[in-house]
Amino acid sequence: MAESTATTEREFMLDVRTQDMEVNMGPQHPATHGVMRILMRADGEICTGAQPHLGYLHRCAEKIGENVEWLQYLPYTDRYDYLAAMNNNLGYSLAVEKLMGIEIPRRALMIRTICAELNRIGSHLIAFGTYGLDIGAFTPFLYMFREREWMMALFEKICGARLTYSYIRIGGVFNDAPPGWLSEVERFCDVFEEKWQEYVDLLMVNHIFVQRTANIGVISPAMALDFGLSGPMVRGSGIDWDLRRDMPYELYAEIWKAGAFSIPLGKGERGALGDCWDRAYVRVMEMMESIKIVRWCLDSIAPGPVIADIPKTLRVPAGEAYVGIENPRGELGHYVVSDGGKVAVRCRVRGPSFTNLAVVEELMPGTLIADAVAIIGSTDIVVGETDR
Amino acid sequence: MSAAVKYVKNVVDTLVTTLVGMKITGKYLLQKPITVQYPDERLPIPNRYRGIHYLEQEKCIECLACARACPIDCIEMDAVRHGKELEWISFTLDYQKCMFCELCVYPCPKDCIHMGTEFAFVSYDRSEFVHDLLSYRGMSRDAKQRMVEAEEKKKAKEAAKAAKEAAKVAAQAAKEGKEAAGGGGEAKA
Amino acid sequence: MFTEVLSAAPQSGTNAINDFLAGVKPEFVPAWAVPLTAVGIAVGITIALVSVIAMFSTWLERKVSGHIQCRYGPMRAGWHGWLQPLADGVKLLLKEDLVPVGADRVMYVVAPAIVLASVLAALAAYPLAPGFFFADLDLGIFFILAMTSTTTIGVVMAGWSSNSKWSLYGAMREAAQVVAYEIPLGISLLVPIMVAGSFNLLEVSRGQAGMFGMDWYIWPWVNPFMLPCFVLFFIAILAETKRAPFDLPEAESELVAGFMTEYSGIRWSFFFMEEYAAMYLYSVVGAFFFFGGFESPLTWGAAKVFGDGHVLYHCAAGLTLILKGFAGVFLMMWLRWTLPRVRIDQVMTLGYKYLTPLALACVLGGSLWEVFVAPILPWRNG
Repeated sequence: MAESTATTEREFMLDVRTQDMEVNMGPQHPATHGVMRILMRADGEICTGAQPHLGYLHRCAEKIGENVEWLQYLPYTDRYDYLAAMNNNLGYSLAVEKLMGIEIPRRALMIRTICAELNRIGSHLIAFGTYGLDIGAFTPFLYMFREREWMMALFEKICGARLTYSYIRIGGVFNDAPPGWLSEVERFCDVFEEKWQEYVDLLMVNHIFVQRTANIGVISPAMALDFGLSGPMVRGSGIDWDLRRDMPYELYAEIWKAGAFSIPLGKGERGALGDCWDRAYVRVMEMMESIKIVRWCLDSIAPGPVIADIPKTLRVPAGEAYVGIENPRGELGHYVVSDGGKVAVRCRVRGPSFTNLAVVEELMPGTLIADAVAIIGSTDIVVGETDR
Repeated sequence: MSAAVKYVKNVVDTLVTTLVGMKITGKYLLQKPITVQYPDERLPIPNRYRGIHYLEQEKCIECLACARACPIDCIEMDAVRHGKELEWISFTLDYQKCMFCELCVYPCPKDCIHMGTEFAFVSYDRSEFVHDLLSYRGMSRDAKQRMVEAEEKKKAKEAAKAAKEAAKVAAQAAKEGKEAAGGGGEAKA
Repeated sequence: MFTEVLSAAPQSGTNAINDFLAGVKPEFVPAWAVPLTAVGIAVGITIALVSVIAMFSTWLERKVSGHIQCRYGPMRAGWHGWLQPLADGVKLLLKEDLVPVGADRVMYVVAPAIVLASVLAALAAYPLAPGFFFADLDLGIFFILAMTSTTTIGVVMAGWSSNSKWSLYGAMREAAQVVAYEIPLGISLLVPIMVAGSFNLLEVSRGQAGMFGMDWYIWPWVNPFMLPCFVLFFIAILAETKRAPFDLPEAESELVAGFMTEYSGIRWSFFFMEEYAAMYLYSVVGAFFFFGGFESPLTWGAAKVFGDGHVLYHCAAGLTLILKGFAGVFLMMWLRWTLPRVRIDQVMTLGYKYLTPLALACVLGGSLWEVFVAPILPWRNG
């Protein structure tokens, strides 16, 4: 740095270098979605640098996968993205079933799809509610919980747990839906459509919310592809990529061909393409698409077996398989390697939140601190999935 | 759009969306809340709920299938075998470790371990969380009776077998004696 | 000499207490003790009033927020939780008195006191009933606005002395926000002041006397620029009292509790009391200038039945004012639970680029109306 060439006192005062303030957001902070620490450098209110620090919620899930049997690992899969546990179970089960090469009964596929989509709604509800909370609107959070409570009660009736289900198992689902469950799901869909309109009116189109999130955290399509983002992060930037349609698993190929759902994309309606509002909007629209998928499944479901015939002590044939599914947050990938034994050799999980978080470091410099909170909220990360 | 139009639009948008939002919150202000005031009121718990386990002790054969199925090894059991009957000492589940995954319920061959609807488990002492699921220790009266009957039956069987053996031996001896006598007789004649 | 100074100041309510005490004074009490006691009692009544208002407001806030969010709010402390503020107060009193390491001790301790004292001082100029007030100031509203803006000093002191970066952020935001919104606050009040012709709150209230509230200043036939002025005034007081959507200084989700983060126990409750007292005070100001102050069908009826000087008339008037004040407070709470937070630079934009020019335009229009149109309107007394 050059030596100061100030001669008069006034010039000297102008030459005084102020230091950027280093502020720690987290690990305990209301706005970081879990225990995560973001080291921010801020010049007054403007953020000049950000660096996420992870690992506060690391629970060695992948290492545990190498030590417990195939079926015993299922409860651990619940716990990485605890807000969308059904999808985690589904991803793991699909990977192991691919290795085993077994066929899943149709009713099981239907119930799995219903559960995964209901859980997607639940997860997007939390994303939406907590995003409102970050921006300062306290009420949509409570309204969101009301719908999510209903969804959790539905899951409680079918599998006995409210958050970590361990319901979608290798070979199908654990047990069949109790009588009356399917009609209750249909009632949920009907009521949810009314409430959805309220969410849009209360928060999404609210001018203050739009001002807070439009043109903030703009991820251009090129940036999205460079960082390897997935899910609503990439669809918010207008890129048409959804694993349910492009790399279908379960029944999604059939549902897509029947034209039952569409893929909402960000269009830059309220600001630049790929800003925070677009991503929030994509999530809100995806809730409606999930309702459509659930309705299609309710119409087409038929009685039958719900689990394939798998031995009690499971030995998976040797080989490796990777299956990526569309988690509410992005592409959740399970890579399992087996040597023919009772225990996996390697069980690697590709968590979408981990990859999505990386873009935060690029987006934050130049924004105000309030915007930093908005950007982190729009990535919709769950630290359980980031750290595993 | 010119700056003036944008200005006016901003003002109008803010006012309109504020009023729309207020209408929604006002609607809920006047409605009855949905809270269930625990513990005075409670929601019904579905019967598949994964709560504290209960064991149908009569059926259990101590095969350890549930203990092997548990990912965290929470289940430990101890019993003395008397033939087919069990004299129970303990069957503990460590709730400090249990993650209520229900993997222990499925492998049971006799379908005797279940998860109930109890969820509240409060204690001042950690040792109480290593919960014993037994409803009685030792052997039940029926089991004892069955054991006694089984032993008697066994004894009777053994006695019968011994008697049969003895009879067989006696018959054999008689036969040999006869043969010997017959042989002797033949030799005499 | 001391007695002369005290009784020379214009104090009507305190005067009444003073006279009463002088009448019942026992022999052994010296003469100078009477005015002092009178002032002490008046101050005590004010503090009691503020505390009760703040306590009731906290209960109201929790119930209103609860019912908006489909839940109940406090239910266990008394019927529907009406004793909850009392329970909270007792809890706060019993908390550890803590000063963070590295905090500037003097400023840390003095800041909440400054904040509460300025609101209490503002309450001195506000009349409880047409015949019961502590100070009949001709500068009424001016004094109130001046005193309530000194709370900013306390807030900035609190944020700085807490020795925490997040508190500092809250304090700086608060200073910028309050200074920006003082301008539209004052300007938007100019139109009713013009119509009333006085800063004195009692005068303003008397000017709106009439049957069934037809003479309230808010109505468009009095002056059509009153309604936009009220909207601007309301937005300005939301910003002044740091209520959502302008609650950045205590933005929970970003800064934990902003400038109040390091405060706990009774010191924290000072800030909260100040917030609710200021909310009530500003909505009472709004009630005086736009909604008739003491005048309402209830007061009019009481005047007809009991007469102007009767104590029940004063009670009716006082009750009317309290109801109007709490209606304003309720509206502020309703808005808080509906709207998201506005970012600090947008707050500044809103204040300087939207509210101030619009307020000036309203003043211009309002004054033109007063000069040219009002004289020819029969209901404006020609």
